[in-house]
Amino acid sequence: MFRSSSLRLAAFYALAFAVAVAILGAVTLTTTRAALGRQFDARIAAESASLAQEYKTEGLMGVVQAVRERDATPGALDFGLQTLPGARVAGRLAAVRAPKGWSVLREDEAREGLEQTRILATDLPGGYRLLVGDDVGRVDALDGVLFERFILAFAALVLLGAAGGYGLARGVSRRVDSITATAEAIIDGDLTRRVPARGAGDDLDRLAASFNRMLDRIGALMENLRQVSNDIAHELRTPLTRLRTRLEAGLTRTGEGNREAVLEAALADLDAILGAFAALLRISQIEAGARRAAFRSIDLTELASTVVEAFAPSAEDAGGSLSLKADAPLIIEGDAELLTQMLVNMVENALRHAGSGAAVVVACRRAGGAPALSVADNGPGVPAAEREALFDRFHRLEASRSTPGSGLGLALVAAVAKLHGAEASLHDAAPGLEVRVTFQKIAG
Amino acid sequence: MKLLLVEDDAETAAYIKRALGEAGHTVDHAASGRDGLLLAAGETYDVIVLDRMLPGIDGLAILRTIRASKVGTPVLLLTAMGGIDDRVEGLEAGGDDYLVKPFAFAELLARVNALARRPPPQDTPTSLAVADLEMDLLKRSVTRGGERIELQPREFQLLEYLLRHAGRVVTRTMMLESVWDFHFDPKTNIVETHMSRLRAKLQRGGGAELIHTVRGAGYCLREP
Repeated sequence: MFRSSSLRLAAFYALAFAVAVAILGAVTLTTTRAALGRQFDARIAAESASLAQEYKTEGLMGVVQAVRERDATPGALDFGLQTLPGARVAGRLAAVRAPKGWSVLREDEAREGLEQTRILATDLPGGYRLLVGDDVGRVDALDGVLFERFILAFAALVLLGAAGGYGLARGVSRRVDSITATAEAIIDGDLTRRVPARGAGDDLDRLAASFNRMLDRIGALMENLRQVSNDIAHELRTPLTRLRTRLEAGLTRTGEGNREAVLEAALADLDAILGAFAALLRISQIEAGARRAAFRSIDLTELASTVVEAFAPSAEDAGGSLSLKADAPLIIEGDAELLTQMLVNMVENALRHAGSGAAVVVACRRAGGAPALSVADNGPGVPAAEREALFDRFHRLEASRSTPGSGLGLALVAAVAKLHGAEASLHDAAPGLEVRVTFQKIAG
Repeated sequence: MKLLLVEDDAETAAYIKRALGEAGHTVDHAASGRDGLLLAAGETYDVIVLDRMLPGIDGLAILRTIRASKVGTPVLLLTAMGGIDDRVEGLEAGGDDYLVKPFAFAELLARVNALARRPPPQDTPTSLAVADLEMDLLKRSVTRGGERIELQPREFQLLEYLLRHAGRVVTRTMMLESVWDFHFDPKTNIVETHMSRLRAKLQRGGGAELIHTVRGAGYCLREP
């Protein structure tokens, strides 16, 4: 049980609490006792002074009279008047031997009704000694009662504290145990498990929520990894098979010139496979989000003009055109290299699918305050129902199966956009297709 | 030229060594980072070709040690890591160029040649010339046989790169990287298109062909 940190903590606090209460009790008891003692002494001294005054004004007979009256009153103090040699004159304490000043009744003189008597002896002029005393045993009795009550309260407190602490600790450790159990289940392979939250919004709930978010993220990354492996297994198999067939045909066919052609074609196939491989790795790296460190301020318009300028001659040679529509710098935070590759993919995708005579327009503009980069072509376009799937890895429209391309171009566009917190979307350019990446509005 | 190849894979090393040898270079091979370090410190090389992933040690650590001991030999890093940040890391560690495996041998050869004859950094010429083609780097003007040729800024950059590497093969990727700063391989033939436009402009006066296509490798600017 003491292997639970919360229980150990609760026990420690209960103990510390008990010690503190005990110290408080002891201090209270001694203080009370001292105060009571002072009160008793004050009463004795007051009576003693009052009788001395009586003696001064009324003489011996007045004092004797007063002592007798007081002795007859229930609840009063004890008095005694004796001659200095010790002969009894009056009062219950008349026979008691006590030194001058404060003293306690000697044990051999104790008798019924006079056990623990504290006495003040004062000498009166004319050879008399006045004794005034009170039973301090009553203080002890009161003390005893106080002490008894205190012990009861103390026991109740300690019990309550221990029980409360134990309950709290159990509650906490039960929740910690549930987190541990979840972690263990995940270690054993059940990645779908999540820590239940109690809904109180406290620190443990926050811990559980963070833990669950971490698990979601890990799950997404794992899914991504699984997806990539699946893609590689399924999609690279086709070109690899083609390559194999080609090489096999080259082996069986004779003739030097033929062999060279086969090898060159095989090399081209291999380069395409390696290209797809590199693109896949790059997409998964981007999706893992490890690249934000390279973000800096970038002018989208400048970036787009570099790309347009690089690709326009090729587009023109193919009988088409590539132009830029932008009028002002468009600054965003991003990774220049990835954004360039993203735009290149968008442009190449448009040029390839719009066919010969394609008129492709790259536009940089602000759409409702948000910077947007778009590439529109005048090709056959894509039916609305099929658009979203274009961003998936290896997705290729049936109609374009015959054109070259790995089916990874727009998947990379989507990945780069996501890394930048931007949204990649497809629109009807009537005619043709518009691929648009809308960045987040810049604050301020 | 005398080259140092630090590569742990015996088969790759043997192939590169033989091919570089056929291209007229003397190649010392080190199979481990430690041997590579000893050779790099003890001998004088024109270029060091360094594999990034060596058994037990990151090639970058070796590169940093080489640079720390004031060896300024150009280093070409080879890597199997296609990581996006790897190139930057390699160049920051003191590498001069970076090539991702698998690569075409022509690419390696062109890059080794480009590195070896790189002029010392303090030597900044104000003009470049091959045959009757002249480029004034200050006025940013190009003439051929005294006739002025108007070039687009990008064409000017392309020609400057060719002139700086005159007599040597320049590959497509080398041009993509240095002229356009594209560190990936577009599927479109943009280099070819720009190159044919540049050629046409250089040929307009009817002079001999200066830019030669090297099959399977790239381009070479040299006297006819």
